[in-house]
Amino acid sequence: MSDSITTTEPRQNLSDFYNPNVLVNLGPSHPAMHGTLRVMCRVNGEVIEDSTCEIGYLHRAIEKLAENKTYHQWIVYTDRLNYCSALTNNIAYVMAVEDILGIQVTDRCMWIRVICMELSRIIDHIICVAINALDMGALTCFWYLYHWREEAYTMIEAMCGMRLTTSYARIGGMSYDLPDNFDELMAKFIKGLPKSLDDVEKLLTTNRIWTDRTRGVGKLTREQAIDLGVTGPCLRASGVDFDLRRDRPYYTYPELDFEVAVGLNGDVYDRYLVRIEEMRQSLKILKQCMKKLPKGPLWVEDKRVFIPNKQDVYTKMEVLIHHFKIFMEGIDVPPGEAYNAVEAPNGELGFYVVSRGGPKAWRIKIKSPSLLHFQSFETSAKGSKIPDAIAILGSLNIIAGELDR
Amino acid sequence: MGKDGSASYIPTRLDYAVKWAQKNSLWPMPFGTSCCGIELMSTLSGTYDLSRFGSEVVRFSPRQADLLLVAGTITTKMSPVLRQIYDQMLEPKWVIAMGACSSSGGIFNTYSVLQGIDEIMPVDIYVPGCPPIPEGLIYSILRLQEIVEKGLPRKQMHKLTREEARNAMNFRQAIGESLFESGETGATPSGPAEIKGETR
Amino acid sequence: MSVAFGVIRDRQDQLFLHLEQTYPSHRVLRDKIEEPILWLRSPDELVPMIEALRREPATQFDRLSDITAYDNIDHVDGPKRLIVVYQLYSLQHHTRLRLKIAIDQDESVPTLTVVWGAANWLEREVFDMFGIRFAGHPDLRRILMDERFVGHPLLKEYELEARQPFSDSLPVRIATGFESPEESH
Repeated sequence: MSDSITTTEPRQNLSDFYNPNVLVNLGPSHPAMHGTLRVMCRVNGEVIEDSTCEIGYLHRAIEKLAENKTYHQWIVYTDRLNYCSALTNNIAYVMAVEDILGIQVTDRCMWIRVICMELSRIIDHIICVAINALDMGALTCFWYLYHWREEAYTMIEAMCGMRLTTSYARIGGMSYDLPDNFDELMAKFIKGLPKSLDDVEKLLTTNRIWTDRTRGVGKLTREQAIDLGVTGPCLRASGVDFDLRRDRPYYTYPELDFEVAVGLNGDVYDRYLVRIEEMRQSLKILKQCMKKLPKGPLWVEDKRVFIPNKQDVYTKMEVLIHHFKIFMEGIDVPPGEAYNAVEAPNGELGFYVVSRGGPKAWRIKIKSPSLLHFQSFETSAKGSKIPDAIAILGSLNIIAGELDR
Repeated sequence: MGKDGSASYIPTRLDYAVKWAQKNSLWPMPFGTSCCGIELMSTLSGTYDLSRFGSEVVRFSPRQADLLLVAGTITTKMSPVLRQIYDQMLEPKWVIAMGACSSSGGIFNTYSVLQGIDEIMPVDIYVPGCPPIPEGLIYSILRLQEIVEKGLPRKQMHKLTREEARNAMNFRQAIGESLFESGETGATPSGPAEIKGETR
Repeated sequence: MSVAFGVIRDRQDQLFLHLEQTYPSHRVLRDKIEEPILWLRSPDELVPMIEALRREPATQFDRLSDITAYDNIDHVDGPKRLIVVYQLYSLQHHTRLRLKIAIDQDESVPTLTVVWGAANWLEREVFDMFGIRFAGHPDLRRILMDERFVGHPLLKEYELEARQPFSDSLPVRIATGFESPEESH
């Protein structure tokens, strides 16, 4: 153990009282709501020489629950992983199960899923930038950006009834189709958000205080980032041009025209710029999606997973029995395994589903990006000061629900 | 006026005035752990402004707050931390258990989740929802203001065992008779509860 | 399809053929979305195999995605109890590979922290949840549960609702440098 303050000899000289090493605990309950993480820093003066991170304060045993709940029942738990962008988690999980079943969803379903994923990317980046700015005292950006988060919540509530924990995706389709007024809501969102982003950029990007506080802070070099398994905006800010949407495309991303934002230095400032640019690119994608959204059936025509319309369930007998079997017994997934990863707002979110047949999974492992990001904190915070450590924590976008699962 | 305010010539008005001040300036200590924390942030931001109800200052220090808003799942690893925060707050203090997870463990009945923070501390208001929408949280703050005004004591919730829950014949039995007894005015909030022992 | 299509699909097929040819004594399978799975025969093969996969220009797996494990209590995947799974990714070819090793509960697996720093916490989590020890890990202790927790939760015999609450928090130790692995439970 290296903490040098546990000394039991009596202090003889004045120099014995001089101990530059102090342990500062950024405890599990701390301001700006980064979630329940704990960082213990060994500080020399004001410079952090060493730090240890402790996690597990929000370990809710979601993976163990996967072995006790059917595949449908577990969709609810996926919302609670990265709760800032719940739609992405739902869709990533459902994609993995559909892979094992060998189901190809309909076109309309694919486009709607892409819309959901890009919308949740925007709201997750809004939280990250707003909280990062809030930590460093720039409170105005929080108010500006949160308004758009509420608008997005209105849209999501119109889609599936719930603001945050959506449980929107189902295996083989989506739970509800898009509402009728969705085009207007989305048009308003696409028109209004860029102005807010411009306002925030005017306040922050060339602001002397912001650049002084974020440039050169929390640098992760290219090699360090790849070595530590960092993905997502943090990896792109370090200069690695890697985006799962473009490099291993899934769903309708090959037909969409968007650019990938890549930074240069890997510090907090670059991560902030990458996120703002990604929000703009997501708006571009959303615009294209709304134009290209096809009409058609939402659900795949597969008897194993098809969830019928409620009107039919209440009126026809066979449909009622089919509905009953799907929800009470669960769908029967053949034995096999699949690992499916999507480009979540935070990075590579993967679900490794192992099935031994039957309605319940044998093992589901959630590959969460935040775990590796938080591990990289120990490397990137070395040599920085305590306020810098707060800035780095904010820029890594660590969501405790995903970190501890 | 005597030291304990008893010989004052307007005792009830002073009492009323103090309670009015307390209820309209509840400074929350947000203990946001998971998803409910995000809805708490939404409540505190511009659209559903919580500072209209007096919670202008969100104090992240327990020593300066009088309302502990526990929003999110509390795990067994986090519960000593939560208890310490509660102990550090000064009287009078109130506790709102926001969301299903802090009220009763929520959807997580697992080996690491505390099934409700009322296992370790007395709670004034439980807010249902997963997560509760901001209007729900605002409603709970208004109800808490009523509680502060009337000075209702915090009753230790009678947790039903599995047998009782199965055999309860109506809603009243299921949630316990004690909740429907009228609260006595003037009583102080009940003292701290003991933390349950190490093994179960 | 959510599975990689087009160019990526071809590359995955090529990778599968390459692995079958290069490692004829190992089992190479494909999962439900045609991604290759390479079964290693013993834990000692792990680090040399990873180094080889990293070096060869045909494979070039330079990124670790995930380390996990699952319980093989019904012995569908062989006679041993636990299967350790490594997910690798190649940033050059954009292909994925899964490595699997079957071990018993008392066997230990060599650590991957010598290759990638990302393996540190991932292996700690596998140790916490399954009890698999990683030989050579700088700081092998529990990460998600309290250190006084008894048992390993994700094994099938551990009950879902068996809580073990503690009434205080343990102090955090700062471990600098490479010290001997913790002896916990």
